[in-house]
Amino acid sequence: MIKVLEPGIETTVQDKGREGYYEIGMPPSGAMDRYSYLAGNLLVGNEENASSLEITYMGPKLQFEEDAVIAITGGEIPPKINDEPVPMWTTLTIKKGDILSFDFVKSGARVYLAIAGGIDVPVLQGSRSTYTLCQIGGFEGRALKAGDELKIGEMQETSVKEGTAIPDEFIPAYKKSHEIRVIIGLCSYRLTEESKQRFLDLEWKVTPEANRVGYRFKGERLNFVEREQPFGAGSNPSNVTDLGYPIGSIQVPDGIEPIALLNDAVTGGGYATIATVISTDLSHMAQIKTNETVKFKAVDLDEALEARKEVRRKLDKIRELTTGQK
Amino acid sequence: MSDKAIISPLPGVFYRKPSPEEGNYVEEGQQVEAGDVIGLVEVMKNFHEIKAQESGTVESFLVENETVIDAGQEVAKLK
Amino acid sequence: MKELKPRYDLGGDEFIFVELAQEMSLEANFRGIAITQKLREKNIEGVVDICPSNASYMVRIDPEVIHPHRMIEELKAIDNSIEDLSDIQIESRAVDVPVLFEDPWTHEAVMRFRDRHQDPESTDLEYAARINGYDTKEDFIKAITDSPFIVSMVGFVPGLPFCFQVVPREQQIEVPKYVRPRTFTPERTFGFGGAFSVIYPVQGAGGYQMFGIAPAPVFSQDTRLPDFKESIVFPKQTDLFRYRAITREEYDSIREEVEAGTFQYKTCDISFKADEVIEDPKKFSEMVMRRLYND
Repeated sequence: MIKVLEPGIETTVQDKGREGYYEIGMPPSGAMDRYSYLAGNLLVGNEENASSLEITYMGPKLQFEEDAVIAITGGEIPPKINDEPVPMWTTLTIKKGDILSFDFVKSGARVYLAIAGGIDVPVLQGSRSTYTLCQIGGFEGRALKAGDELKIGEMQETSVKEGTAIPDEFIPAYKKSHEIRVIIGLCSYRLTEESKQRFLDLEWKVTPEANRVGYRFKGERLNFVEREQPFGAGSNPSNVTDLGYPIGSIQVPDGIEPIALLNDAVTGGGYATIATVISTDLSHMAQIKTNETVKFKAVDLDEALEARKEVRRKLDKIRELTTGQK
Repeated sequence: MSDKAIISPLPGVFYRKPSPEEGNYVEEGQQVEAGDVIGLVEVMKNFHEIKAQESGTVESFLVENETVIDAGQEVAKLK
Repeated sequence: MKELKPRYDLGGDEFIFVELAQEMSLEANFRGIAITQKLREKNIEGVVDICPSNASYMVRIDPEVIHPHRMIEELKAIDNSIEDLSDIQIESRAVDVPVLFEDPWTHEAVMRFRDRHQDPESTDLEYAARINGYDTKEDFIKAITDSPFIVSMVGFVPGLPFCFQVVPREQQIEVPKYVRPRTFTPERTFGFGGAFSVIYPVQGAGGYQMFGIAPAPVFSQDTRLPDFKESIVFPKQTDLFRYRAITREEYDSIREEVEAGTFQYKTCDISFKADEVIEDPKKFSEMVMRRLYND
């Protein structure tokens, strides 16, 4: 059992996500920084889909009421056990009665607390991930509160030696300005050529509206190609006949503030989407904070698929390290 | 006594008052104790209270009301 | 069908987006339904999600199992295999969907967000009736409730049905969305935006005009309700929703049934070919009404 003494600002139970329900309007939810989440599970010997805590901006204070093996990965929110600093990206043991807490965030925005065995909450449609909008999944469908008690599950498949640490080359570092790779497309034909270029040239500032649903950016107004709106689309030039939104797609309601849709986003709607963040860079998006800046870089499919392979190679290396097997 | 700072652990919009109709939590020159609320930060549609980490006199605010601040940014100086 | 020129595009490395047409039409919707049905039957390895929508569809894949370009070739082949509308057989169900128009809950929300509306002086219903050329609100409600709507897409949030009325194009109602979206919409609000009516499954933000409220849920975790035993969402693409205006008395009694876990939608299975609808929407709608209420 783990007792929540202080919850942090938004701490939720997440796993790989709820896949296969997009057609009924259910977004996948799941760990936003999938790379750090998977690395965390590897460090504690868990099955790939064991659920962890996703911690945003500010760490919780947790009292362990049994011995456990844990690992903390992601951005840099320095962890402490009984007020003593402990390393991230490392297999740690924690004893019954110990208190895990965190310092202020140093870089990035989210960390993952993996616990050997995972967090035991009911499985809903194949996943333990929290989807707060509909109050389903995770711990009672919501972010943690003080006084909650979390049960540890049984999803450990191998034991990992205490002190096993992931080498620096596999640990992403985050600055305050970010480059995010996108594939331009979907309804990008709605933007003027000039605005399409400006979308890529500008440094966009992340507004306080940046959460698991999406990130909203401030910059300059983008312009749409003038046209008579097609039947069913709605009257604003940024409107299209309601369609599906890919995860990571970027829309610009009224041309004013672009929104990148993320793990808990709406699955469709009536705004023109102009580009999609490539799947590997969604992990990076999760580590961007309000008031930081983002530049979008257009890449082609080959580069996106190569980036995917690279992430897989890294995770395979981490697996070799934690299991001692090739 | 050396200068001390009050830091916001979160990024977001900084407010000096609990609501638009009310007065500031504290004014410059006022004495605060550790744990006193000196402002709010709004992020992800949540409001988080910013508290003095130690006691002292608020010498000056370093950010304006309703500006967007970074995580770890100093919002006020204490002495 | 010749006029539909599908456009294939990538949504990052995991999504294929196919726009069948920029404007909404039953033809485009039926074609999307037919293609995604065939795709489902093919059971292609690496396909994660198949998401048909109004005049487009989307497929999510694992690009390490099936390359996105290979997937696009598959989709083009399916598209080519569908000759014309008479090829498209649709297994649907007609559903009686009660709605209390001008209810106190959405009225409160209508008044609260007047400053975000095109016409702060009228209610959403009065405004929509006027710009669609109806003399009275009652005539407008009659137009909405006289003919069924086809659920042309499910999405936005779990279980939200986008519904497109089965009437000739010149009779189709079209309304703009709010000038600025609201921060609040009551759960089960019956709304209208563009050419689509919707029921909001959960409370939340929204931009559609608000005309009333449905007593029965479209999203529920209450597995006592017979309609929610298999899935937490009720609407399915191709459902034929007939919105029926009800009194406050009936509203309250349906609410009691929902709370008691006994409510069940009145439904009737209907199988049809796409060209029957396109060729004579009026005749088709009348058939649906007869089957739903007289059979």
